[in-house]
Amino acid sequence: MAATKRGHAPPDGGWGWAVVFGAFISIGFSYAFPKSLTIYFKEIQEYFTVSYSEIAWLSSVMLASMYAGGPVSSILVNRYGSRPVVMVGGLMVSAGMVLASFGRTIMHLYLCVGVIGGLGLALNLQPALTIIGTYFQVKRPMANGIAMAGSPVILFTLAPLNQFLFDSFGWRGSFLILGGIVLNCCVAGALMRPVNNNTRPKPKTEPPERNGAAAEEAAAASDTGEQDESESQGCLHKFIDVSLFKHRGFLIYLIGNVVMFFGFFAPVVFMAAYAKHQGIDEYSAAFLLSIFALVDMFMRPATGFIGNSKWVRPRIQYFFSFAVSFNGVCHLLCPLLPGYVGLVVYAVIFGLAFGMVCALLFEVLMDLVGAKRFSSAVGLVTIIECGPVLLGPPLSGALVDIFGEYKYMYYACGVFMLVPGIFFFIMHYFNYKKLDEEKRQNVPVDMRTCEEAVQLKMSQDSNTAHDTDG
Amino acid sequence: MAASWKRLLFHILLLLVSCRHINTKTPGPTPPPLVPISSLPTDERSVSLKGESHTENVELLNPVNLALQCTWTGNQNKLPNITGFWRKDGDEVENSRVTVQLEGDEYELKRVFSIVSEESLGSYSCVFGSEAKIEFVLAAPQIGEVRDKPIVSYVGDSVVIACKMEETKPKPGSWNWYKANGTDKEQIFVVAEPLRYEIKNEERKTKLVVHNLTEADGGLYYCGAVYAISTTMGHVELKVISFQEPLKPFIAIVIEVIVLVAAILLYEKSQSKKNYTEGNGATDQMNTMTQGENNGPEGSSSTRQRKI
Repeated sequence: MAATKRGHAPPDGGWGWAVVFGAFISIGFSYAFPKSLTIYFKEIQEYFTVSYSEIAWLSSVMLASMYAGGPVSSILVNRYGSRPVVMVGGLMVSAGMVLASFGRTIMHLYLCVGVIGGLGLALNLQPALTIIGTYFQVKRPMANGIAMAGSPVILFTLAPLNQFLFDSFGWRGSFLILGGIVLNCCVAGALMRPVNNNTRPKPKTEPPERNGAAAEEAAAASDTGEQDESESQGCLHKFIDVSLFKHRGFLIYLIGNVVMFFGFFAPVVFMAAYAKHQGIDEYSAAFLLSIFALVDMFMRPATGFIGNSKWVRPRIQYFFSFAVSFNGVCHLLCPLLPGYVGLVVYAVIFGLAFGMVCALLFEVLMDLVGAKRFSSAVGLVTIIECGPVLLGPPLSGALVDIFGEYKYMYYACGVFMLVPGIFFFIMHYFNYKKLDEEKRQNVPVDMRTCEEAVQLKMSQDSNTAHDTDG
Repeated sequence: MAASWKRLLFHILLLLVSCRHINTKTPGPTPPPLVPISSLPTDERSVSLKGESHTENVELLNPVNLALQCTWTGNQNKLPNITGFWRKDGDEVENSRVTVQLEGDEYELKRVFSIVSEESLGSYSCVFGSEAKIEFVLAAPQIGEVRDKPIVSYVGDSVVIACKMEETKPKPGSWNWYKANGTDKEQIFVVAEPLRYEIKNEERKTKLVVHNLTEADGGLYYCGAVYAISTTMGHVELKVISFQEPLKPFIAIVIEVIVLVAAILLYEKSQSKKNYTEGNGATDQMNTMTQGENNGPEGSSSTRQRKI
């Protein structure tokens, strides 16, 4: 492995893989848990005598809390590190579910499952993503791909498990037991050992002249390219890094993502309904979702692997742009595919596209802003994405209701993904050009991004003394 | 011969008068009652059979005089005369055996039945010779969505049991609820125990709410959709369990989590002790150098207390 410019080497292996497994569990629960609870909705709806939309609110509240809790999570991770935050998060979700199992009103459920549960999941998601960045550098896309695969895998496991629990214990008992199951996030948190505890110093990374404050500065500065902490300003910086809003790459990512998320989840939500609308029976329609989930599951680590290859890694932003555009094209073509076979083909292709985007979603953010600022970045991104994520499916549903058929919804989703994809391509072309220019001009490191550092690292294999900051 | 023709003429006249089509060639001395005296409405169902057998479902709401007509295209032999008769629920209907003549390449059997109550419902079959059979299954609208898995609820809690009649089927007049008592069904009257039971009826849906459950409340519950002709039943099973049941797996999982977390943290402690004794000076230097950079823009080490 090439020498790094940090004071310590991100292990890129060893305990890192245990951390990836922990992140796999945390991320898996964060995304899959709200989706898997929908099995209980019908009975809860009967029990509390509420309408379907009131019960659907439960999912929305949970998702909203999860996204809105992003900045809170970032602040806590910045202060305390990943491990305690994940463990507290796990305890929170567990407590929320256990309290909910004693619920007497629907408000009680909204509070316990929705607010407390959602917040706990937010405290799981961010730290899991962040810690991967601290453990991996060279193999980071691979690690991200594997960790993000947690979502479909856990969903796959939770769906039949939830059905079994429901048949055996009804919704109350199931909530209680789910409170126990989700406590395993604390186990995942225990695995997230802070990275400087046990890493042995690698001899190459300790040239004697690097001691002291100069070394600290150089090490931090030559780190994945974010701002040197001696340059950090304001006390808000203690909590969350809002100077990110001046970061070019971050802004590109943010704008593109906000538009993209309007059309991202709706096709998944409506897949079974669309199939039934075409006249396909319930089991075959459900099978489509299974095909989609299975393809998604394998595509994520595969994408991580591709993203890690030496051709793609330096220009990974293009890969992400391609993935987003691919999604868009896939949705635009979907209504044209006839019959059940057409739908199966669509499910497979959509699974590929969805897996690609998910695997790269946070990897490219890490690539743009660097591991150090990542935790703040992801917090800001999630709270801003909260809007489109929550509004997307209902808006798509409204489109279906207005026009009476699904193809307009697919066209809309396709456009909402294709336009950001093209936007990403164009903007990143300029961004890369600018970065290359800056590198050549030896501009201060605060504008540099990670991929450039990786490029340098990969091209200067044996060069231990690193001189980009002069 | 002339007498039977006269009789037939008489029947045909009556037929024209009462607008009913009845065709019998009973050789016996007493003709069957062709014209029912009561004022029930009439209805007709007819089936044409090409193969060996066929089953037709007939949905009835109200008492009716139902004329069932069977037409059979015959088999290879095409005998000029075959015996035909009617069956109800497997038993041959009295005096229903007739000789059917081949007319226009077909055999035909027709009979009117008075369907007035639940006993009259069931399976009616017309049989040609020993081969061809057409079965008419007469029933009130059945409750389609039957929940096959039991509803699980807890002691002291309340539960809502629901029954629904599909949109495509006619609405019942009212709904009744019954609880199974051994092999019997006992009707549930809310007036008798207003604190425990609640019945909420809508046109096509009914809900039974049982409060303050006890283990004895478990078992089969029947919802009856009441139609003029009979009441169709749907059933739902209720299981009442105590809160200890889910508590056991929950505690097991909590113990598993505690064990795993403790194991991981102890492993880490033992590893760090090993590191400490091995690379003492180097690690100290390592740690001070790396204090500044992980997890956050802030450089001060006061927040770096990395407690597990």
